[in-house]
Amino acid sequence: MTQGNEPYIALSGIKKAYRIGGEMIPIFSGLDLTIPRGDFVAVMGPSGSGKSTLLNMLAGIDRPDGGTLRIGTSHLDQMGEAARAAWRAHNMGIVFQFYNLLPMLTAAENVELPLLLKPLTRKERRLRVERVLDLVGLSGREKQYPALMSGGQQQRVGIARAIVSDPGLLLCDEPTGDLDRKSADEVLEMLRFLNRQLEKTIIMVTHDPQAALYARRTLHLDKGDFIEEKRAA
Amino acid sequence: MTFFDLARKNAWRKPLRTVLLMISIAVAFLIYGLTASFLNGTQGAAGASDDLLGVTSASGRTQPLPIAAMSRITADLDVAAAGYVARLRGFVDVEKNFVAVSAADPGLLMAVNGKELGLTPALIDAIGQARDKVLVGRALAEAQGWIAGQRVTVTAFDMSRQDGSRDWRFEIAGIFEGENAATDTYFMIARYDYVNAARVRGKDTVDAFVVRPRAGVSPGELAARIDTLFSNSATPTRTQSERQFLEAFLRQYADIGLIVNLVVGAAFVTLLMIVVNTMVFAVRERTFEIGVLKTLGFSRLDIVALILGETLFVFAVGGGIGLALAKLAATFAGPALGLVFSTPVLVKALAIIAALGLATGVLPAFNAMRIPIITAFRTR
Repeated sequence: MTQGNEPYIALSGIKKAYRIGGEMIPIFSGLDLTIPRGDFVAVMGPSGSGKSTLLNMLAGIDRPDGGTLRIGTSHLDQMGEAARAAWRAHNMGIVFQFYNLLPMLTAAENVELPLLLKPLTRKERRLRVERVLDLVGLSGREKQYPALMSGGQQQRVGIARAIVSDPGLLLCDEPTGDLDRKSADEVLEMLRFLNRQLEKTIIMVTHDPQAALYARRTLHLDKGDFIEEKRAA
Repeated sequence: MTFFDLARKNAWRKPLRTVLLMISIAVAFLIYGLTASFLNGTQGAAGASDDLLGVTSASGRTQPLPIAAMSRITADLDVAAAGYVARLRGFVDVEKNFVAVSAADPGLLMAVNGKELGLTPALIDAIGQARDKVLVGRALAEAQGWIAGQRVTVTAFDMSRQDGSRDWRFEIAGIFEGENAATDTYFMIARYDYVNAARVRGKDTVDAFVVRPRAGVSPGELAARIDTLFSNSATPTRTQSERQFLEAFLRQYADIGLIVNLVVGAAFVTLLMIVVNTMVFAVRERTFEIGVLKTLGFSRLDIVALILGETLFVFAVGGGIGLALAKLAATFAGPALGLVFSTPVLVKALAIIAALGLATGVLPAFNAMRIPIITAFRTR
């Protein structure tokens, strides 16, 4: 847990470059960012601006080349792969653009996946799954397979899977990018609910200005740095 | 849902592929179960003794020795006990259902070899009740489904009766168990006086003498002395320990055993390559999802366990079906084919299932374990 006024997420001097065709292409050359606990941040920017790279580093699935990256008390930039996997299992949920549900599992089984990594009994896992499916409005669809669900329903299963472990941080990668407006608004309402009522810290990468309005603030990334920051209405 | 459920559901993603894999595994283990049962049902050298000597003709084991030689053997003070055996080889019902009968003096056999065979005074009394009584070994009785009191007819391959028939009728007086599981009990013991009196040729001859040296006497030295005793007779002898004797006898089947092992080995190696190849492709198709699982917090070891669990599941089901079919075959066709599907055969097969299940999963599991999440996400 962070102490006093210390930000929940702190990135300092982050450097990241990718080798493309033998040439190093810099993405970040000293990025700084702080996010307090309970914030809901939309990250926008053109393609190639580093949004996904930022999200990957926050998720611990990519490492910065330089700088420090702390979330809570965990210094992700110093952790090995196994430690980062364990950190993800207990501290973070992720919502993907294309839901990324496993097709051979039912909605309930997909939601249960992260709980297999926790020391819970079968009954405890079932109760948690029922609770979050109810929270996202999918009670009664536990045994339905993803292929038989609409995009909006699949994304709600994805959100349920992301929050079933009760993580403090929720990372969303274009969560409404594959949805119609109505379904997108439902999903965004749900994210706002999770932020306001359950105090989840949410970082959402999006291209959709409408989606960004649901966040407490919006960060614009361009050429590897934040060029604008504003509070959402 | 459990980790195992997840592995199982992964295995069933492409049911046709999984079923075909299971069938190939089942066939391989059916072959293994049948061949192992065959070797198990036709061998017993492992349980043979080094201290028990067998005296046969130096001209070959099929050449008879006169029973009168018995007195010259027992005259040696280093002989604790001796007996004799005439072999009657034949079949029951069908020619493939081979049965071996050792015609002996039960009392002498009890003295020389009773402990190893598991003969008891009650069994010796039982066979002594009538000349056509026999004692049947446990393995043979189980394979044939015989019980005490039952009458059986053995049709001899080359030993005719005086009435011209080759059918020898016996009544089962009891079942002898053998000293332990390794003892060969796949034969029956008949009375020599009955067989000798009824046969046309070879009267008063035996196929072998069985000799137990006194305690502290070197079996090798006694064997050499016995052979010296008969070296200038009309029937020179060759004396070996029971183990040497049985191993030499079984050596004629050794090539079959080798061929069987090579065939089974080839089947398993082929199976290994097929399953590894299939699993590598199956896991590669799922690279993206492995990335998703890793993002959810599944560690590299969790991913390895998941894939090994999947290959173990496929092998357990396929191998289980193959072994069940082998057991069924041994149950219904065992007597005709000489198949004995014993617990050691089952345990060894289960160990092979586990070993192959793990071996086939190692390469795909290793590949999946190593792939970075970012790379996995680029595969969609």
